[in-house]
Amino acid sequence: MERYPVKRYNAQVLLIMAAYALLVYFEWPHVKTVADPGFKIVLALVPALPVVGVIVLMGARVLRSDELQQRLHLIALGVATGLVAALSVFLSFLCAAHVLTLAAEDVLFWIFPALCFVYGLTRLALSRRYGGTSC
Amino acid sequence: MENRVRELRERQGWSQGELGERLDVSRQTINAIETGKYDPSLPLAFKIARLFGMRIETIFDPGK
Repeated sequence: MERYPVKRYNAQVLLIMAAYALLVYFEWPHVKTVADPGFKIVLALVPALPVVGVIVLMGARVLRSDELQQRLHLIALGVATGLVAALSVFLSFLCAAHVLTLAAEDVLFWIFPALCFVYGLTRLALSRRYGGTSC
Repeated sequence: MENRVRELRERQGWSQGELGERLDVSRQTINAIETGKYDPSLPLAFKIARLFGMRIETIFDPGK
């Protein structure tokens, strides 16, 4: 299977995330002013589409990687999932004990970026460990 | 696991990238195999052996 060129992947992710930023900046503020519930749902979910696009791209890249790269992707994904899951459990218990007060929507918004951040750092560290030059 | 991949590659005058292209894997994977940081799967090990025209056990030594 033909490999996914890193440069093309980076360019596509950058383009999609630019679209996401534009949607959040220009479209999202109008959600609260819309009265129709159906339209409100559609407008609210539009910024999620680019995020889904990035997840699909990530999946395509992993599937088209060789065996070592797939292993590194999966280790990084495992580390990211484990850390974010552990953090969410800690925060949940602290909130339930009324030690912390967090707005649910703020916490939910940060789950995907947190996953990506830990995944990226772990992938970079693994790549260096195995003699790679990029993640 | 020890292996002779680097020696065989250099004997052919190939770079890590060139060997990677012939095996359809990345340069990083070749580097990791050569430095013993990664043991290839059985299909990849057979592919390497076939490329160099040798038996798999003459290239890879699992040690004791």
